[in-house]
Amino acid sequence: MKNFSYARYILKANRGSILFGMIFISLLQFLILFLVDTFDTEVMFAAILSQMPENLKIFLNDSFFSMLTFDGAAAFGFNHPMVLVLLVFIAINIPVKHIAHEIENGSMELLLSLPVKREWVITNLWLTGVAILFIVILASLVGSLLAIYTFHSISIGISLKLLMISTNLWLLCVLIMSYTLLFTTLGKRSSFSANLAAMFTLAFYMVFFVSQLWDAIEFTGAMNIFNYYQPQDIMMGRESFVVDSIVLFFASIVCLLVAVWQFKRRDIP
Amino acid sequence: MSSNKIISVQNLSKYFGQTLAVDDASFDLGQGEIFGFLGPNGAGKTTAIRMMLDLLRPDAGEVHIFGKSLKNNSIEIRQHCGYLPGEFTAFKNLTANEFLKMATTLRNSATEGLQPLIERFDLSRHEMDRKIKYLSHGMIQKIGIIQAFFHNPDLLILDEPTTGLDPLMQDRFYELLFEEQKKGKTIFISSHNLAEIEKLCSKLAIIRKGKIISVKSMENLKADLGLIIQLSFERPLDNLNIAGVRIVANDQLKATLILEGEITKVLEQLSLLPISDINISKPGLEEVFRNFYKTDTDEEL
Repeated sequence: MKNFSYARYILKANRGSILFGMIFISLLQFLILFLVDTFDTEVMFAAILSQMPENLKIFLNDSFFSMLTFDGAAAFGFNHPMVLVLLVFIAINIPVKHIAHEIENGSMELLLSLPVKREWVITNLWLTGVAILFIVILASLVGSLLAIYTFHSISIGISLKLLMISTNLWLLCVLIMSYTLLFTTLGKRSSFSANLAAMFTLAFYMVFFVSQLWDAIEFTGAMNIFNYYQPQDIMMGRESFVVDSIVLFFASIVCLLVAVWQFKRRDIP
Repeated sequence: MSSNKIISVQNLSKYFGQTLAVDDASFDLGQGEIFGFLGPNGAGKTTAIRMMLDLLRPDAGEVHIFGKSLKNNSIEIRQHCGYLPGEFTAFKNLTANEFLKMATTLRNSATEGLQPLIERFDLSRHEMDRKIKYLSHGMIQKIGIIQAFFHNPDLLILDEPTTGLDPLMQDRFYELLFEEQKKGKTIFISSHNLAEIEKLCSKLAIIRKGKIISVKSMENLKADLGLIIQLSFERPLDNLNIAGVRIVANDQLKATLILEGEITKVLEQLSLLPISDINISKPGLEEVFRNFYKTDTDEEL
């Protein structure tokens, strides 16, 4: 009961972004698959590609070519920049709003004057955040499956692959939320924590993108969170899903544990 | 009033960077006392309170509440404490009802204590169903008071409790405090409001620049200062020189003195002056407070 009370408060405070995320992402998935189904994109893109210089084809790489199929387009929906930006926003916003901002506005002072442990607050916030991200990503999975069912033919194989992609995306977002949570416990202002988390995520994304084109920084792959989220690979059967998921999960747990340790020892001004 | 120590603060210190916010503060608070904590802005009152709630960790010293170390029994102690922060602005996106319901759940407490307090502070159903951010400052303060009192705590820690309350509600709040005191509850009040502290508190700690400069009963504190003598003169006096008093104000036609020597000798000297009016009174808390801060003219009360 005690746990649900705090979780209910967090869910209520974020219901706007949850609803918007669910509707926007599921509609976007639906729209992408609708467009792919409406036009003969495979022929259209093949014609464009045949006139394209070789260097540019390399630049576009596998992820682009895989998108030309219906299944590939379904996977692309989970990797669309707008989807990633929205999910990253939700993942960063939850800890910033409920730790850093609530310390600034006095809510945390009042919450911690009640008989609740600091580790209880952090863990509950993390679990609720994990549930929020699950709900939003589940909506996008439902949107994709519905679009495939409507415009194409749904099979267990494609459903399973989309389930794996959404799980992978969910764990990636959980990791982003977890390191944001860690930043918010360091005692800086909410804007600082949010900017730091956004900069980290953007830096990971940029380095990941460049490392695919430039061999000299390929070694950064193992340290890059986006290396553990490969929707096109899952769709094309080049699976490292289990390893990727384990890495993302354990990295999230490490961030959570450090956040709990840091929050327990810090002052609440 | 019992001699049981409810709060025992020993040599508490807290640094923020290079700034010493609380400097070796020590005081005790017995059961059933209403204890005032007085000081100007930035004196370290809120820092000391936050250390008493385990929100800030002291750099030195210890706090014992209900005879237990706060460091090792923080949750158990907070279960029996009610706290009203200085600026109660929390959880603005919840309605007053939702917030109080959450507080009861997080305290594992019954909700029976809420309704009598809601009625006492004249909060309507409509107001209780509105989001806190849409309520007036006074309404929000009432919600803050209710959340501090509803679970029948043994110790109440109140930081500026009557801010934003109208005089009628202030009186209801004072009634509530005296009722709680009669039940044996211990109350710690931090305030700028000297009249309020004088009316409510039996014991007082005065803090200046992080240091506790006095912990005394209200009576002793006033008795220590001496009588206040206010004089009006028939004509301007260039030089006012009287032994056994300290001149705290003098504009040639009027003067305020604090008696430091024998009253008979002072009266003998005064009889030689062209006095048109004289008023001798016991000092109020305001005079006591101003006396403590006479060297800090830049500090704001």
